Amino acid sequence: MPAGDTGKQQAAQQAVDILHEISTILNCHLDRRTLSVCISMVENGVNPEALANVVQFLRKEKQKDDFAKELKQ
Amino acid sequence: MSGSADRSKRVDTSINRLIQQITPDEPHRTEEENQQRHDLFFEEIKQQLETPRPPPLADQNHASELIRRRLVQTNPSQALRFSNLYSRLLALPVLNQKWAMLYLLHQLTESHDPNEPDPVAFAEFKREQDVRKGRARPVESEEVMHGRRYAKEDREEFGSMGPSDNESDDEDYPQEPRGDGYHPTELRDVLKNPKPIRTLDGESNTKNQTNNVDYKRRAASRDEGVSGPPRRDVAIKSKLLADNYSEIDPSEPVLLRDLPYTLQGLSSTTLPFGKDYSLKLPSTLPSPLIGLLHTLAEPSLLYRTLEDFVKTPTKGLLDQSLRAAINSELRSYLTLVATLEGQIRRALATIDEKAPRNGIGKAGVTLKRCVVWTREATMGLRLMSLIAEESKTKKGGQLITLIHSFSSSHGDPIVGAFAERLLTPVTRPFYDILRHWIYDGELSDPYLEFFVQLTLPHETTQGKSGSTNVWEDKYKEQPDMIPSIITAEFSQKVFLIGKSLNFIRHSCGDSQWVESYSKASSKELRYGDTATLESWIDDAYKTTMRRLLHLMTNKFHLFDHLQALKSYILLGQGDFIALLMESLAANLDRPAGAQYRHTLTAQLEHAIRGSNAQYDSPEVLRRLDARMLQLSHGDIGWDCFTLEYKIDAPVDVVVSDWGNRQYLKVFNFLWRIKRVEFALSSTWRKVTTGSRGVLQTNHLTVQETWKTTRGFLAEMVHFVGQLQYYILFEVIESSWTELQARLSREDATLDDVIVAHTNYLESITHKGLLGARRRRFVGSDAAGSGSHGGEDDNSYMIQLGELLRTMLAYRDCVDGLYSWSVSDFTQRQVEADLRHTVPSPDEDATTNPGGPQSEFPALRERLRHLGDRFRTKLQILLGDLAYQADVDLRFLGVAMNFNDVYQPVRRKVKGTPAPPTVGGADKGKEKEREGDRDREERHKR
Repeated sequence: MPAGDTGKQQAAQQAVDILHEISTILNCHLDRRTLSVCISMVENGVNPEALANVVQFLRKEKQKDDFAKELKQ
Repeated sequence: MSGSADRSKRVDTSINRLIQQITPDEPHRTEEENQQRHDLFFEEIKQQLETPRPPPLADQNHASELIRRRLVQTNPSQALRFSNLYSRLLALPVLNQKWAMLYLLHQLTESHDPNEPDPVAFAEFKREQDVRKGRARPVESEEVMHGRRYAKEDREEFGSMGPSDNESDDEDYPQEPRGDGYHPTELRDVLKNPKPIRTLDGESNTKNQTNNVDYKRRAASRDEGVSGPPRRDVAIKSKLLADNYSEIDPSEPVLLRDLPYTLQGLSSTTLPFGKDYSLKLPSTLPSPLIGLLHTLAEPSLLYRTLEDFVKTPTKGLLDQSLRAAINSELRSYLTLVATLEGQIRRALATIDEKAPRNGIGKAGVTLKRCVVWTREATMGLRLMSLIAEESKTKKGGQLITLIHSFSSSHGDPIVGAFAERLLTPVTRPFYDILRHWIYDGELSDPYLEFFVQLTLPHETTQGKSGSTNVWEDKYKEQPDMIPSIITAEFSQKVFLIGKSLNFIRHSCGDSQWVESYSKASSKELRYGDTATLESWIDDAYKTTMRRLLHLMTNKFHLFDHLQALKSYILLGQGDFIALLMESLAANLDRPAGAQYRHTLTAQLEHAIRGSNAQYDSPEVLRRLDARMLQLSHGDIGWDCFTLEYKIDAPVDVVVSDWGNRQYLKVFNFLWRIKRVEFALSSTWRKVTTGSRGVLQTNHLTVQETWKTTRGFLAEMVHFVGQLQYYILFEVIESSWTELQARLSREDATLDDVIVAHTNYLESITHKGLLGARRRRFVGSDAAGSGSHGGEDDNSYMIQLGELLRTMLAYRDCVDGLYSWSVSDFTQRQVEADLRHTVPSPDEDATTNPGGPQSEFPALRERLRHLGDRFRTKLQILLGDLAYQADVDLRFLGVAMNFNDVYQPVRRKVKGTPAPPTVGGADKGKEKEREGDRDREERHKR
């Protein structure tokens, strides 16, 4: 997001707040930081559907890692 | 182009951050490993992100709509919250791709919590582990990725859904329609004519900034390169659709352009309105479109109808408010139409003239969509037009009932909610009237819409009182006007409150209190919170009733008046009555024409002064008056004399004209009994004292006659005494106690007081033998009670009247006998003085006493006759009483005949008194004689 004046920053902050709330309602399990990264990607023209896939993919990888870890232990 | 490079760079950074965020570096791995892994992911993601794909949704609003619908299904309470958040989000100036963000969230909805083990991931992991045996991990994972991607692409081409390959997701949206049906077509369009889709975008064919187009373009180029067999199918189908698309006239954009006017009820060139709420559709259109237009015509026509309805003149306030409410609903409908028009305009501005169907499909606004958008509004309009139609025959409360029935008993929640919304403005005048009524006691209802109505003078019902009663007849309740939003009990209260206030103000002259009360407690009443409203009404009810009773008791001395009525009119004040009767007796024996009002009032005054009545309050004594009833020929003073207790407003509400007449009736009856008692006892006194002196005789027949006469007299005295005791103590006193109990109840209202008083009077007249029905036989009661109902009503009255008359006649006769005896005595005295000889008794026994010209035999005959008549009548009366349903009346019979002196006679046939049977009479006489002897002895003692 391009840096703007404080008003714009506030608005952006608000947008993140709102979107985070929506994501909570929808049980998306996105934390604020991930969400803001997603927002910036989408704002930069990334296809949301693809991004959704990516998030799912990464999560799954993380899980797999966890499983692997457990296996090792 | 530099912007684009900049953009991709930023995306790269973001990807890095994302990887870092979701799969943080594992501490147990080396940095190199972590870096390697990171790079791997990065590549994967980059690749995936750059995979061209169509924008998921054509319509930007669609994402929010999807979420909303989903929430409504799963968690309705959150749907509203979401709507709020969404509108706040829209208001923010920052984000350009809000819809995309929402779509992202939508895709991640109900995704698995990353902090908990995901079975799907675990399964995949297992599989990998199995495969891993021979291979290195990176390659494997890459392949999985690729495989997955292909699978996904295939699915996309089939127009199926799930962007993610998460199975659980697939299950989650089984019926979710894929974005929009016409995507494939678009794809093909781009393929066949590689023209810019958005003519507005300057750089069309190249990589331009608009991501959507970018994606589409890429998708198109991809399609050209790799076209799988499944895709072919779709392509052909969509191509067919596109090619077979025939031009219509007027074209859809033209129709769309005219649609807002139509929806507002204005004629346009393509869709002119005809006469009588009709819409003319162009005949050149294909039937599917006509169907759509039919659907769209509905709100238009309804709107026109309603608009005209709103303009029609009104019949009342509620009509007016209904029109106002409908009008405001119409205004919000127009707002919708305006929004629609804006959408259409925008869409029409972007369409491409040369694309098939003018590319209208892409623009996001089609006739079909307009139908969807106006669906809800149409429902509202439909309901309103229904209400408008029905309201023509209804008024006032019925109107509210009509709308309320929609809101309370209609199955469709949308209809219910709509009617509920409509109720608030519509009921406003009703609540205004209600407020005026329960806080001011005034009916401000110019169009007769309230359920309480002023009784018009000419239709005043002549009640049992025969005259108008302010309390009962001024206002009446209209049951059919009670709106269903309030219950019957509640409306009864409201009715009473207003009536009481009005009564306090106008009849009790206490408008000051009413005003201060209305100022203090007046509240704004509105539709909605029924519980509060009810508690308010309850408060108002209690306050008003308390005030009214307080006024009645303290200002108008209602209870004092009732007490006075009882003691004077119902002869409760014994000393007063006795004195009055004594002083009036001589006067009243004269013919009615010789009675003068001033003598009567003077005697009344005398009686008051001479008795305890003098200590009564002057307020009460002032109202007491003695007067004569209308005289008829041959009446003597006794028949016409009456005491009167004057009741004026507002107490006459309780002691109405009818009540006054009842009091008068009871008084006259009691007065007659009292008079007979008075006459009998004075005669008895004379006779008893005389028997020691002047009545001494040696003549056996005379002695015998006097003996029976005394017997009869004693019987009569007993009868009258019992009757009086019964009426005064059993009837009046017990009814009075009952009345007192009812009046002193905590929550008694004026209505209760009136009812209690009426009951009191009724029970007195009924039990006091003034109105009781005589029962012939118990068996025929059920069958025959209806047939001989009316004529028997006063039979006790008649019977008693006859008995009393007989007694009076008997008493006159006894007086005659007395004077004969006295004259006979003096004559004998004179003779004895002359002869100084005592006549032998045997001589007297044979000859007529007093000589041949004596009137003694006639007197004796008359006395015997009257005595028999009295006894017969009494026996009949007792016979009737014995079979009375009322316990008190039966008890009277028992008290009169406690030692079975009389043989109660049951008359079998109505109207013909059966003479006592011979045997029974004989036996009866035996007993009577014994009884007589008993009584004589008692009296002598």
